[in-house]
Amino acid sequence: MLLRVSGQMTGADVDMAAVNGHVSDQAGIAHAAELVAFTEAVMGTDEAALETTRGALRAVLSPEAFVDACAVIGAFNVVDRIADSTGIPLDEPMVAMTEEVRADLDLARFRSSANTPSG
Amino acid sequence: MTTPSTSTLDYSAARAPVRDDLRETHVAMLEHLRQPGSWFTGAERLALAAESRNALACPLCQARKASLSPEHPAGEHARVSDLPEALVEIAHRIRVDPQRLSREWFDRVRTAGLEEGPYVELVGVVTFTAGIDHFCRALGIPFFTLPEPAPGAPSHYAPANTRSGTAWVPMLAPEDATGPEANLYEGEFVPNIARALSLVPDHVRLLQSESASHYVAMAAIQDPSVRRDLDRLQIELVAARVSAMNECFY
Repeated sequence: MLLRVSGQMTGADVDMAAVNGHVSDQAGIAHAAELVAFTEAVMGTDEAALETTRGALRAVLSPEAFVDACAVIGAFNVVDRIADSTGIPLDEPMVAMTEEVRADLDLARFRSSANTPSG
Repeated sequence: MTTPSTSTLDYSAARAPVRDDLRETHVAMLEHLRQPGSWFTGAERLALAAESRNALACPLCQARKASLSPEHPAGEHARVSDLPEALVEIAHRIRVDPQRLSREWFDRVRTAGLEEGPYVELVGVVTFTAGIDHFCRALGIPFFTLPEPAPGAPSHYAPANTRSGTAWVPMLAPEDATGPEANLYEGEFVPNIARALSLVPDHVRLLQSESASHYVAMAAIQDPSVRRDLDRLQIELVAARVSAMNECFY
């Protein structure tokens, strides 16, 4: 969970609720609402929502940044599946760094948490 | 598509500037998939890739995804290959319902006769296909056509010095990486996600390349100053939302 770590290290006040899809006006991340809505649509099956959210995102991002968002979605659909199918533990440096945010977001509710030791 | 190249992959429908390093990674992925691997032929790897994609339309997978139990209802998967049913089952589960995989499930896979090396190779093929497909879906272009298989037999190569006990599968620690794997990992910090596929070293190499072009180079993951046209907070928000929707704890 590098979002909070990145926020702390850059001095940004990030509202982590956005990770669970609850985006406020004070999320602390530029265009968070459009990024989250688009990501959710890509991960879902509603083609109309995908078209709408893609258009909304492209309206606020540069074309290059839009491609970046698509690429990150692709990357983490690889990472998540590898992690879940191999039972790797959290990386040691991340255990302490992310303990609070994992608790705040109640990530232990994920069934996959049983497969991913966190120290 | 016989041989993937940057000229055979069509991004034009997106009307967006797809970077050269992304294009090169996609070519490398498709070329990787069509080549014989450590345990599967090129034809078998492409069949696994096709099953990864086909799982999205598999009625059994959809019914199980909606079920309280990931293994019910019983039935047969819709298939597009002549792979053994056990491999189809694993490929579909990893593509469609990875968050409900468990150690018990993995142990049953092993008991049923699939060795750890072939399992890791399958994981890589299925997940790389998922990644490239999600990129295409996000961008708004059709999935890339899978290439024709390259001839040849699997190498049956496995790196020396892998160790069991940390994850479900044996992994190669950086300090144990010698011989052909001496330069396998990039940077001083090697996350477990890089080690996870180390029973198939070429998967690790491709994963690191994919991370560098699609996200951040693994050696730079812990450096918050690394960014693209998206700033790092935006990158991490998208990454975290994907993982939350995949219910991935890692």
